[in-house]
Amino acid sequence: MNDVQNAPKVVVRREIRATAEELFDAWLDPASLAVFMRPGGTERTTVKVDPRVGGAFEIHMHMESGTVPHKGRYLEIDRARRLVFTWNSPYAGDNDSRVTVEFRSARGKTEVVITHEGLPADQQVSHNGGWSDILVLLEANYAEMRASAATT
Amino acid sequence: MGEYRNDRLDAVLGAVADSTRRAILARLSLADARVTEVAADFPISLNSVSKHVRMLERAGLVRRTVQGRDHVLSLDAAPLADAAKWIAYYRRFWDERLKALEQLMKQKHQRPKKRKQP
Repeated sequence: MNDVQNAPKVVVRREIRATAEELFDAWLDPASLAVFMRPGGTERTTVKVDPRVGGAFEIHMHMESGTVPHKGRYLEIDRARRLVFTWNSPYAGDNDSRVTVEFRSARGKTEVVITHEGLPADQQVSHNGGWSDILVLLEANYAEMRASAATT
Repeated sequence: MGEYRNDRLDAVLGAVADSTRRAILARLSLADARVTEVAADFPISLNSVSKHVRMLERAGLVRRTVQGRDHVLSLDAAPLADAAKWIAYYRRFWDERLKALEQLMKQKHQRPKKRKQP
């Protein structure tokens, strides 16, 4: 039996024209966080950080419909290389989700890679191939189920 | 995006983290099946298959209907769609945050250069 953990996770990346230090520091700077942690529909974001391993942060996104609180704790702080924190919001599972931000500089740019895992940190995730396969398979069924539910 | 019961999302993520359980779901996505029929497809004991099925039931992914002496299993894909929505939501969320971070860097780099004359 294959015991590899195929947990779902989200990976996004972007190359940005800035140094790894500048980019890394923005993740721990309340003024910067208040700017880039403001999704569409958010009037303003207020931020509190205690930037040390074990320290907590709070990012409150204030919207017309109310305030969405995001909380977490720093697990790893390795300046200009790697930042790991827990992520807790009404949209993610309790304390269980974990975000890793990695920085890789090359030719005047820095690639920032965000990995968001929905499982507890002690359940290491290797890859997510199996998970996406089953989703593709099942999404079609769900679309049918919804379609039939909508007509009743 | 909808509000999820966090404990259920965790149960779903845990349930699909195993290849045997994913195979059981794939089997049931084709047709309902008796527990014994599902077990016959796998090179593991009926007892182990039953344990996997119970985890899937707890996650709300599999429903069991008792028809006489048979226990018939059927797939309920709705909780998986919740998990898929979680993934879609955060993929977009973090992608947009990185775009915003890039904008912030552009502004920071421009500001000092534009202040030669007050």
